[in-house]
Amino acid sequence: MLEITDITVRFGGVVALNEVSARFTQPIGGIIGPNGAGKTTLMNVISGFVEPAGGRIERDGQNLLALAPHRRAHWGLRRSFQKEEIAEDLTVFENVLVQIDHGRAERGRKSAEVLRMLELVGMADRMDKPGEALNSFERRLTDVAKCLVGSPRIVMFDEPAGGLSIDETRQLGRLIRAIHDETGAQTLVIDHDVDLIREICAETLVLDFGKRIAFGPTSEVLDNPKVKAAYLGTEEIGI
Amino acid sequence: MRGLFHVTPSGWSGLGFAAFVILLVPELAGSYWLSVFTSAACFTLAIAGVAFLYARLGLVSLTQVGLMGVGGWVMLRLNHGTDLPFEVNLVLSALATMVFGWILALPALRLRGLYLALVTLMAAGGLEIVFATFQFPNGGEGFWGVTIGSSEPFRRPALAQSPEAYLRYVAICALLGFLLIELHRRLQPGRAWAMIRRSEAAAMAAGVNVTLYKTWAFGICGLLGGAAGALLAGSLGLLDDGTFRASESVMVFALAVVGGARYWQGAVIAAALYKILPPLLSTWGVDADLAFVIFGAGLLHAVITAPDGIAGQLRGAIVARFARKERADA
Repeated sequence: MLEITDITVRFGGVVALNEVSARFTQPIGGIIGPNGAGKTTLMNVISGFVEPAGGRIERDGQNLLALAPHRRAHWGLRRSFQKEEIAEDLTVFENVLVQIDHGRAERGRKSAEVLRMLELVGMADRMDKPGEALNSFERRLTDVAKCLVGSPRIVMFDEPAGGLSIDETRQLGRLIRAIHDETGAQTLVIDHDVDLIREICAETLVLDFGKRIAFGPTSEVLDNPKVKAAYLGTEEIGI
Repeated sequence: MRGLFHVTPSGWSGLGFAAFVILLVPELAGSYWLSVFTSAACFTLAIAGVAFLYARLGLVSLTQVGLMGVGGWVMLRLNHGTDLPFEVNLVLSALATMVFGWILALPALRLRGLYLALVTLMAAGGLEIVFATFQFPNGGEGFWGVTIGSSEPFRRPALAQSPEAYLRYVAICALLGFLLIELHRRLQPGRAWAMIRRSEAAAMAAGVNVTLYKTWAFGICGLLGGAAGALLAGSLGLLDDGTFRASESVMVFALAVVGGARYWQGAVIAAALYKILPPLLSTWGVDADLAFVIFGAGLLHAVITAPDGIAGQLRGAIVARFARKERADA
């Protein structure tokens, strides 16, 4: 269970997150909201790239805010970015291997794990291809494989379906759903694709102007009139 | 160990070039050109260090010639002050410069781009003043080891007493420097550096300790610069502060870009432009300062049309030629 408690972030006079709390208990959780709502900022706080003014983030008794960003990755936090961060001059295999390079497992075991995850995402046949030669979906799949190696505990995707076709988005959705069974990790997904969120996320947090406006089972949250008004752009009636 | 010992076509050409320099050049060159080529080989090693830092991490260091001066200073001090063998002095000089490089790098680790370049340039300026004030050891007493008048003789390596043998010695050291860089590139540090260059946030998300690996890279850059300076001291027997001006560090970095920072050929081209072209122009009866005009034209060429430098253009042309030949054969 990932527990976010009263997270507040200020950029100068702007309050990017205002005492946001949520307890993610399901294998896959979603974070949605209009542009500027604070979704990526929250992910950056969990990753350690933004220091909050207050609040706590805990999982399995570990206070994540006490760890340096790279230590959070060693602990088991995985993160993919809006733009796939694949090193151009490394091969697909090497791009995934980077994620577990720091581990103490012997080289053969690391290679075997990288291969297993590349097979899972369907990139094993292209593992020697350099990053610069990959198309955007191949880069995204490599990114997913990176998130799966090294016994992850929390995997976070920031708009993973951005720029993908409908078929590619479906394939990605299947992969994200398989993460918990394959690795035991809890997954958080930010995306504007409501269909994707509805399909894969059991619970969803909705942010607007840095505040939590809803949290709970995804179907209930998406039917919430406040959410429709703030996020889907429909008129708020009777609230 | 996947692919660790795989020799690429570029690697074979590098080994072939090293064999040419080690076996043939000392036999063909006269005493003047032996000295020029030895100096060029020393600067190849130093340029390889600064090019490595730029190509692997995108970091600009304008202190490299100053760090050569540090390595040369330590080598001269140890050579005149102790009876240690040349090889031990060489290793100690390189390690001392590596540590010096770390100390210089630590405040700069949070900086990038222009600000990092300015900080390293200021460090080079500081070193220039220190060298000009205290000079290089030449067998005198005390910490600075400077004496007025004739200097003590310098002990070259037992294996390389003659100028021919010393050129071979320096070429082998330069080859080892390139192999050190390539070994790093193929192992964990190389992967970490590739991620850092891509994005520091992505590198941290991948578990890379960005500060550690940046410091490591600065250390290698300093190690190679220090070794180059120590070898230069061995070539000349004494060093002059005029060699290690801050402006020379700027020139060396610019030429590393012109040559092509991503490739070993780039360091060789840069060193040839820097150390072989001016005496060549003098030999042809042309003013050696014309080299600066050529450097400027080369830099404009690199900035406008050849981001991978002359080496990148040559490699691109060779690859395209082979591709055309393959298509024609098919």
